[in-house]
Amino acid sequence: MRKAIVVQRNDPNADEAENERKLAELKELAHASDYTVVGSMVQSRYPDRKYQVGRGKVEELAELVEALEAEKVIFNNQLSTTQIYNISETCKCEVMDRFQLILEIFAARATTRRAKLQVELAKLQYELPKAKSIVSLLKKEERPGFMGLGGYEDSYEQDIKKRIVRIRTELMHSCKGSESLRTFRHERGFSLVALAGYTNAGKSTLFQLLVKEGTIVEDMLFTTLSPTTRSLTINQRKVLLTDTVGFIEDLPHWMVDAFRSTLDEIFLADMILLVVDMSDPVDVIRQKLAVSHDIFWKRTGGATIVTALNKTDLLPDEQLQEKLDAISYLAPNPVMISAVSGQGIDELKQLLYKKLPKWEHSHISIPMSEEGMSMVSWLYDEGIVHSIEYGDSIIMEIEARNEIIQKVKQFEISSE
Amino acid sequence: MFPIIAVDISGRHRIGQGYYMVCAAVAVDVSASHIESVSQIAIKPFLTASPPGVADVVSIIETTVAEIKYPGTIIVEHGDLYNQPEWLSQKMFSREFKYQESLSERLAIEFAHHVSLSSRNLLMKELAID
Repeated sequence: MRKAIVVQRNDPNADEAENERKLAELKELAHASDYTVVGSMVQSRYPDRKYQVGRGKVEELAELVEALEAEKVIFNNQLSTTQIYNISETCKCEVMDRFQLILEIFAARATTRRAKLQVELAKLQYELPKAKSIVSLLKKEERPGFMGLGGYEDSYEQDIKKRIVRIRTELMHSCKGSESLRTFRHERGFSLVALAGYTNAGKSTLFQLLVKEGTIVEDMLFTTLSPTTRSLTINQRKVLLTDTVGFIEDLPHWMVDAFRSTLDEIFLADMILLVVDMSDPVDVIRQKLAVSHDIFWKRTGGATIVTALNKTDLLPDEQLQEKLDAISYLAPNPVMISAVSGQGIDELKQLLYKKLPKWEHSHISIPMSEEGMSMVSWLYDEGIVHSIEYGDSIIMEIEARNEIIQKVKQFEISSE
Repeated sequence: MFPIIAVDISGRHRIGQGYYMVCAAVAVDVSASHIESVSQIAIKPFLTASPPGVADVVSIIETTVAEIKYPGTIIVEHGDLYNQPEWLSQKMFSREFKYQESLSERLAIEFAHHVSLSSRNLLMKELAID
């Protein structure tokens, strides 16, 4: 974990609660990108052209960086190239803004070729308007003249433009390749559950809790999983649980495609666990849920949605009920939980189990032979064995997905 | 379960001398993500010489919804009322109104859209209007 300090400049007269929410979101994003937030700094003023915050505040920030040994300073406000240069010169460490942090997260989470291209495209679009000034700052010591600065500036910008065109062309001809991964995981007997919701809703805390409480199956498959996917079993059913970046507020338009490409995991899931922060005001919850529905519309292929109403430990019961009544029309299969205290987790797991893709029951009779014994072992791997009796033949009651049941159809004992 | 009346208007473009529109209102009971049951569908044709303004659209919707015998909030797409703010649209209707939000509301509007579009196609074909 790398140490970082988060900084936010608030406009005077801006809503205090809104400012706090934005800073909490930035901290959550920093955490998602593997930073440990060791300090934060807030200033209320109009933007400074050179530093974004005031000059005195930047000097204070430099002292804080030194004292806390921070490697990075992350601003919640968009920074110009000059501001990044000036702040990093003063603080003697790397400086980035919110958008660069988000791009860093997207780059780390992009698994498919298409997603990687989308992220690279967003990076280039972010860099394009800054291209000239980046070169100017880098070549400050060089004098303009024959083949001087002008040439450098233009060629770098041209280079970015060419790369943007190339990626756009490639994206037009590429198709989504995650379907095969989904099929592979289904063939291994896993059902896919994806966590979705806004940053700071408590997705990662819930993810850790569910994974810790669930029995982790063999590590054999982890080579095919991203660091944010873990396998667990709920009532003997194997589930792959994926934590996602989360929905982010106020995304610039050029970042939307890259953002959506990171959501492929959600759109491929059998079930979506939508996490909602119940401590938000009702209007904010409603707005966030409506946007979530908009994101899911026509993309989830009929996946079941379960809504985990999180952070219930922060509110009294009557207030919770009031909020639930106001948002119930936007919350499919709601469950009240607290990922911190563990309250409601058992109920959530039972609901997840109930909503998993249906497995079929079957009574079968397998001949007692070497081949029959290896089939028993295979059935233990692929499904749930409810009962087994060894006699002249092996009588089993099993529960498994349809493909497995079809393969042992010939051994089925008719119920008549 | 929430009772809603999803509404959609087809044909808000000029054909020859007028605007041949069909409005469909679908009364359904929905959960947050699915349509649970369908109670009634009302379809009404409208013909105007000039393009419909916001007030005309409100009148068309209210006239069609009047045919529905079931209670429910009127649900419409943002674009149908020219993207004007919800609070302003709400003031123009005589009954409960809101824009679509949930998956089930979108699904109900899609349903209403298919009803209005196919009804209009049938009418245009019967009247031999291209």
